Amino acid sequence: MDISFRWLSSYVEHDWTPKELAERLTMAGLEVETVEPVGQSLDGVVVGEVKTVRAHPNADRLVLCDVDLGDGDPSQIACGAPNVAEGQKVPVATVGTTLSLPDPDDPEKRKELTVEARELRGEASNGMICAEDELSLSDDHSGIMVLDDDAAVGTPFPDYLNAHGMPSTDAVLDIELTPNRPDAASHIGVARDVSALAKSELQRPEVETPSESGAVADQVTVNIEDETGCPRYVALRVRDVDVIESPLWLRRRLTAIGLQPRNHVVDVTNFVLHECGQPLHAFDLDAIADDTIVVRSTDAETTFTTLDDEERELPEDTLLICDAEKPVAVAGVMGGANSEVSTETTDVLIESAYFDPSTIRRTAKALDVQTDSSYRFERGVDRDGQVWAAARAAELIAELGGGTIVPGMVDAHPSPPDEKTVALRPDRLTQVLGTEVATDEVTRLLGAIGFEIEEGEDALHCTVPTWRPDVSIEEDLIEEVARLHGYDQIPEPERVPVPSRTPHQPPEETLERQARGLLKGLGYREIYTNSMLRLDRAERFNVPPAGSDRAPVVETKNPISEEMAALRPRLLPGTLEVMHHNRNHGQEALRVFEFGRVFRRATEDDAPIVPGYAEHPALLIALSGPHAPTGWDTEPRDADLFDLKGTVETLLDDLRVPDLALTPRDGDAGTNGTAPVTQHHIDVTAGDTPLGTVARIRNDVAADFDLDTPVFVAEFNWAALVDAAKAEQHRDYEPVSRFPVVDRDLAVLVHADQPVGPLQDTIRDAGAPLLRRVDVFDVYEGEGIDEDAKSVAFTLRFGADRTLTDEEVDGRIEAIVDRLDADHGARLRR
Amino acid sequence: MPDDVDERADIDELREQIEAASIESEEEAEQFRIQYLGRNQGAIPALFDQIGDLPPEERPEFGKRLNALKERAQERLDAAKARLKREEQAGGPDIDRTLPGRRGFRGSTHPLTQTLDEILRILQGLGFSTYEGPEIETDWHNFSALNFPPDHPARDMQDTFFLKDAPEGEEPRVLRTHTSPGQIRIMENQEPPIRVAVPGRVYRNEAISYKSFCLFHQVELLYVDEGVTMAQLKQVLYSLARALFGDDVTLRFRPSYFPFTEPSAEVDVWWADEESDDGGQWMEILGCGMVHPNVFEAVDVDPERYTGYAVGMGVERMAMLRHGIDDIRIFYENDVRFLDQF
Repeated sequence: MDISFRWLSSYVEHDWTPKELAERLTMAGLEVETVEPVGQSLDGVVVGEVKTVRAHPNADRLVLCDVDLGDGDPSQIACGAPNVAEGQKVPVATVGTTLSLPDPDDPEKRKELTVEARELRGEASNGMICAEDELSLSDDHSGIMVLDDDAAVGTPFPDYLNAHGMPSTDAVLDIELTPNRPDAASHIGVARDVSALAKSELQRPEVETPSESGAVADQVTVNIEDETGCPRYVALRVRDVDVIESPLWLRRRLTAIGLQPRNHVVDVTNFVLHECGQPLHAFDLDAIADDTIVVRSTDAETTFTTLDDEERELPEDTLLICDAEKPVAVAGVMGGANSEVSTETTDVLIESAYFDPSTIRRTAKALDVQTDSSYRFERGVDRDGQVWAAARAAELIAELGGGTIVPGMVDAHPSPPDEKTVALRPDRLTQVLGTEVATDEVTRLLGAIGFEIEEGEDALHCTVPTWRPDVSIEEDLIEEVARLHGYDQIPEPERVPVPSRTPHQPPEETLERQARGLLKGLGYREIYTNSMLRLDRAERFNVPPAGSDRAPVVETKNPISEEMAALRPRLLPGTLEVMHHNRNHGQEALRVFEFGRVFRRATEDDAPIVPGYAEHPALLIALSGPHAPTGWDTEPRDADLFDLKGTVETLLDDLRVPDLALTPRDGDAGTNGTAPVTQHHIDVTAGDTPLGTVARIRNDVAADFDLDTPVFVAEFNWAALVDAAKAEQHRDYEPVSRFPVVDRDLAVLVHADQPVGPLQDTIRDAGAPLLRRVDVFDVYEGEGIDEDAKSVAFTLRFGADRTLTDEEVDGRIEAIVDRLDADHGARLRR
Repeated sequence: MPDDVDERADIDELREQIEAASIESEEEAEQFRIQYLGRNQGAIPALFDQIGDLPPEERPEFGKRLNALKERAQERLDAAKARLKREEQAGGPDIDRTLPGRRGFRGSTHPLTQTLDEILRILQGLGFSTYEGPEIETDWHNFSALNFPPDHPARDMQDTFFLKDAPEGEEPRVLRTHTSPGQIRIMENQEPPIRVAVPGRVYRNEAISYKSFCLFHQVELLYVDEGVTMAQLKQVLYSLARALFGDDVTLRFRPSYFPFTEPSAEVDVWWADEESDDGGQWMEILGCGMVHPNVFEAVDVDPERYTGYAVGMGVERMAMLRHGIDDIRIFYENDVRFLDQF
């Protein structure tokens, strides 16, 4: 919201510069985003009198003027304006003056010019008679500016402007108004805060308020059918108006805050809106059938042409202003083209109403328009500001354009609200702020912004002004006092109390931090990807974990674009995007991980926090490209499934996931008709609980992301993993064995198709209880071995809480070999 | 050609060989000994055997030179053996130590994680527990319970994503627009005193640009107890800001508006910028205030007995300030050349 510094300052005295004022307002809750200077200094421009005008001998479109500048001999100045005439008082930029002129090539820009003594087509010209736009006073370039006849020749022009109450320079403050401050949506509203801050009286223009009834009430009928939507409707009438261009001071007020002047009636309604915050509408009364206003809501969809000549579809239940026959305005939003004031208008009906905020908000949203009027109504205008604003407008319309104010008014106000009083306990104020504000100061501050205060026994009883709809409880008053007193007056205490309990860190948090550290150490980079993606991609990747039903993807009703219409059912698609991006930018080794929430519609098995949707934290680790950085004796190869499996085993071991099993899943088929995106699955479980899967991305899927090296991915339900691991986080000490261990190697020949995992399981089983660990150190097929066989070599470590004898170890080895033979047909390789 | 010339030349040649011979291992040392000093085939003993063939007047001179060569060979052998022994005790001969090491890949945590961790670490020191709430929220938790009236302009402050297929007859489901619904969830489940931080991802349906993304991260603080004051709020915020941005950071605490706090405030840090006319600018880092009584009433906490403060801060904003990042979208691009800097 733009506020003109000069305009504002006409209602309250203060000695701040625009920047200082901006700082004070910001610190009092009206945040000033920018302060833009407008206008120019006009030093060197003086009042001159055109003594003679004669034709230029060498130019048809120029005349030569002798202009008295009050410095002795008149100066000869060439002028091309059509309206220059003898006897006029005019602003003259004297030689040496620098002006900022409109750029003829670009209306948005201006460029500097220093006026010089020069010859124009052979005739001397010593200065420049200026038009309003050349002085940054308006956009008017139709002719030179003509001043009051009684202006003294030689007066510096800035002094002339000051004397007319319109200094040449101004500043515009852009205030970011918070929704709780409708009272500050005007110059007087902001001035009210300034008066409290500057300890200076607010000076509101004096207006003669008309009495209810009178001639207007006899001539105009107002009928409110929807009292909820329109609790109050005030109407005034100005007759015999001559609709003209507004005077410069009024046009300057409007252009300063970015409004385009139209005609004086419309300009006055806009001026009063920005002066006091009450939106007004001026109807051409001749266009109002039967001089009757009906305020009602539509009961069906209606088409209506607003004064911007847009044909609009009004939904059912839109609040309308109608005459005896037809709609004439969308209440609180915009007037209609059929009743707007034009230069032909002579009879003006001024509407000044209070419309229900949520009604106007609904309409403005439905029509997708925000006007200066709807902006204020939907926040809540002064509940009792209608009469003053209407009278102020009527006076200005009549004063500027002739016309007669018809005595009286219509004030349809079926149920005026009661006064609102809120108690403020000084003790409570101190208790909330943590500092004391003297009661005198509280009274002064609240008084300055319109509260009437009565001191009670232990509370101040504050009558809330009608322009503060946001104030209804004690805390609201505490905030008013605090912001005007100054938040910077609140001390920062030396010491503060803290509850005597140990802060709790959830295990998700600690384990997540641990996993991040480990994965970072293993050379993976953490990524953060968008939770929203294209629906078709979300569907494609929505392959349920083994054994569960496929729950539908979650969609948003109002996506930013089709690219973000769904929520990710898993982290994988986002990761592939990141791998794609980095591969395109020259990264060979792609090693990433991400923690994030994934979403599905809830199924019967889910017990989500928010019914309807299942959401759980997930962890993804992915890998593609070289298995190790290039080195001078490193054998290059692409990372494979076992590189990722190794990462997963290291991680889960570090997180102490108990009863861990990594089991290859049979078959690669998708579930429930979904085409698979991964293959070579290894399911990861803790006991009976599925934790996640390690797999290879299918080549056709990888190709869609331009990834030409094999891509491997591990995805976990992080919540399930934490659940499984959290009980294991506390460890009791186990004594370390002080007896030596015995290491033995064992190589067996098995059928080439025999998986190694079960051999290891068998060895563990048969080697118990002496076998401490078993590792695979070689798998070999080829020369020296039967064609359909392979050799698998293990290294075994035995130990116990005593010194083992060779016989004991030999016995275990024998048992292991026997079992390997019996269960897997394995033969000892010698 | 006379013999004596030959033999003298032999000595010179042999000396060159002995000086040049490589003795870098025990094997080479032994070979050296056999080749030059060996009693049977050694080159030096062989020359001694030929002394008799020389004219008598040359013999003393020749013998003297040959003895010197023998001593020199022995000296080289002894020195090499001593050196080899020293090397063996120390761990082998010298190697090319300029070859690069065998490295693993460098990993990294995301800059947002680093900033969030830093914030949570500081808050834990200030006695805050951690809680995480859901990203899909009910309209009640995200808005109504936080004192956003229906049809109120305050709802426009946060452009909201609504979800399709909400359970029939129930209130709308939204992607949370802030971490503040975490306040509601905690107070629904726990009696004061409550002192908790709620980190998490939030969503806004806004045009994407260098300064706004459709999602970002926040940390919410909530402290509810008897006698909590705005002065205490100021203290905790200033402590946090100093810990994050340094002790000499310039801050301001100014009034603002949030439906769920009253009084409400925002905190700005002064960011020096030599290019700017004003020498810098105020950058908003967080919003906060005293918990609104209507919020307490929504979760059955007695607003007469308890007061509280709540704070919401943007993790991206903090990370951008800390690292001088000027485009929020870069956090979600995950370019390794960006990630590698953290």
